[in-house]
Amino acid sequence: MIEAQHLTKRYGRTVAVDDVSFAVRPGRVTGFLGPNGAGKSTTMRMVLGLDAPSSGSVLVDGKPYGQIRDPLRAVAALLDAKAIVGGRSAANHLSWLAASNGIAPRRVAEVLDMVGLSDVAGKRVGTFSLGMNQRLGIAAALLGDPQTVLFDEPINGLDPDGILWIRNLMKSLAAQGRTVFLSSHLMSEMAQTADHLLVIGRGRILADASTDEFINRNAASSVRVRAVQQADLADALARRGAAVKRCPDGSMVVTGLDAAAIGGVASAADITLVELAAHSASLEEAFFDLTRDETDYHAGQLTGATQGA
Amino acid sequence: MTATTSPAATAPATAAPLAPAATVSRALKAEWTKIRTLPSTWRTVVMAVVLAIGMSLAVVATDVSQWHTMNAQQRQLIDPTSTSMSGLIIAAVILGAIGVRAITGEYSTGMIRSTFTAMPARRLVLTAKAAVAAAFVFPVALLGNVVGFEVGQRLFAAKHLQVTLSHPGVLQALLFGAVAMSLIAVLGVGLGGLIRHTAGATTALALLIVGGLTLGQFLPAAWREYLPGIATQAAVTVHRSAGLLRPDTAIAVLAVYAAIALAAASIRIAHRDA
Repeated sequence: MIEAQHLTKRYGRTVAVDDVSFAVRPGRVTGFLGPNGAGKSTTMRMVLGLDAPSSGSVLVDGKPYGQIRDPLRAVAALLDAKAIVGGRSAANHLSWLAASNGIAPRRVAEVLDMVGLSDVAGKRVGTFSLGMNQRLGIAAALLGDPQTVLFDEPINGLDPDGILWIRNLMKSLAAQGRTVFLSSHLMSEMAQTADHLLVIGRGRILADASTDEFINRNAASSVRVRAVQQADLADALARRGAAVKRCPDGSMVVTGLDAAAIGGVASAADITLVELAAHSASLEEAFFDLTRDETDYHAGQLTGATQGA
Repeated sequence: MTATTSPAATAPATAAPLAPAATVSRALKAEWTKIRTLPSTWRTVVMAVVLAIGMSLAVVATDVSQWHTMNAQQRQLIDPTSTSMSGLIIAAVILGAIGVRAITGEYSTGMIRSTFTAMPARRLVLTAKAAVAAAFVFPVALLGNVVGFEVGQRLFAAKHLQVTLSHPGVLQALLFGAVAMSLIAVLGVGLGGLIRHTAGATTALALLIVGGLTLGQFLPAAWREYLPGIATQAAVTVHRSAGLLRPDTAIAVLAVYAAIALAAASIRIAHRDA
């Protein structure tokens, strides 16, 4: 469980994180979504006690990070996988981490096996590919078998197998009741992995909602429809309050009514449908709809609308 | 995921609260693991020992070959013990760099964040780095001193100038030479924490030690003997000589340098975002 209260970070006159409050709960993958520079990494560094907040606080399991004894057994983080001294072997890198938190040395071989790096345990980290470094970073995070795990852009540099593997890993960690906090700017990844979303833009939380709820609220699902009596159908739908947009190919894109309702309208008016196709909005559309309107006024409204979730 | 079933999993919930002593010993163990598992540390050690002994023997050989041209007063000034450790000045720069890199290597790669996430007590981390660098350097320097001394005395034997380990002050000089190297390694850790860049901190260290030997000529004589390079030379003397501190005072002076650098680095590290 991670709780931030009015967390703020200023660098001179720039406000990187602006009065942010949120809770990351156990048992689910919480996605931290925002464009580069939105304040994701700064927030994560404050969670880990690396950067001091300008004001506000952030607690992990009710304590500031610095007061957690043997923190790797409680919280672990994968930050920048390349941030590692290259001269040491993978096993030795994990050995000092284990020693620092009183973790049994045999755990090193266990986590190397879990991430598939056993064969290169004795190789210098400097010779690793980005994907191997990423796996080593994950091994380091799992070393203390922590209850809370933070992943900052974990799929950078991973091949498709690796992406699938880490996605399943995060889901299984959450299913075991752990708190999983995943930051990414990749929306497709978020849509597939995160149960809950914290959307951040320009240092402020724009949305805090379940992934489905966020998509439904911020991007309208639409239905593509084509009828023999196209004009009659457009009128009938408009009377029911739907928004109708005519497309150059002769079809219409309807928002505000679902496919079943449109079918009902057509049937009642004796209109023959040629095409009726529902299109569910993607996270990407929802995100762009939200951030396109990110003037202060709209952002405030949307935040207000989603905060009850 | 096998992680949940491993005994390590239950540790956070079941472990009894740790005494601060355990935190200290874990920090020491972690930093010790780091220093000994970095191959460049060992290459540096070999280079330091070889170059230092080489320089010591070159100075001894020069004294021996010029013996016949020296007047009585010059002959009187030869200290066979400290001369056979002349290379300590080179060793100081190279071994001090081990201390520097223990910290700048992590800042330049960003691994310092892993370190501070694993061990949030930053001052403890810095102190552990200093202690480990000192402990690592000590036996290496002592070995180099003993080898340089033994071979050096063989060369001095040609002019019957040689002394033995049982000679008064010799054992102390060999030990103080190693202590001086440990203190300079701590100075290196301090400079590394202050400057955070390998090149910058190594240069600062070299200037402090070797630069003092040349630039020190412009300082009043009473100040010159307190420069780290001169104090290092004084620490290994057996004969008292003008312009050099007593060996124990010289060690104390080096300890003050190391303590100041470490304290300054400690303040900087504790109050800055990592």
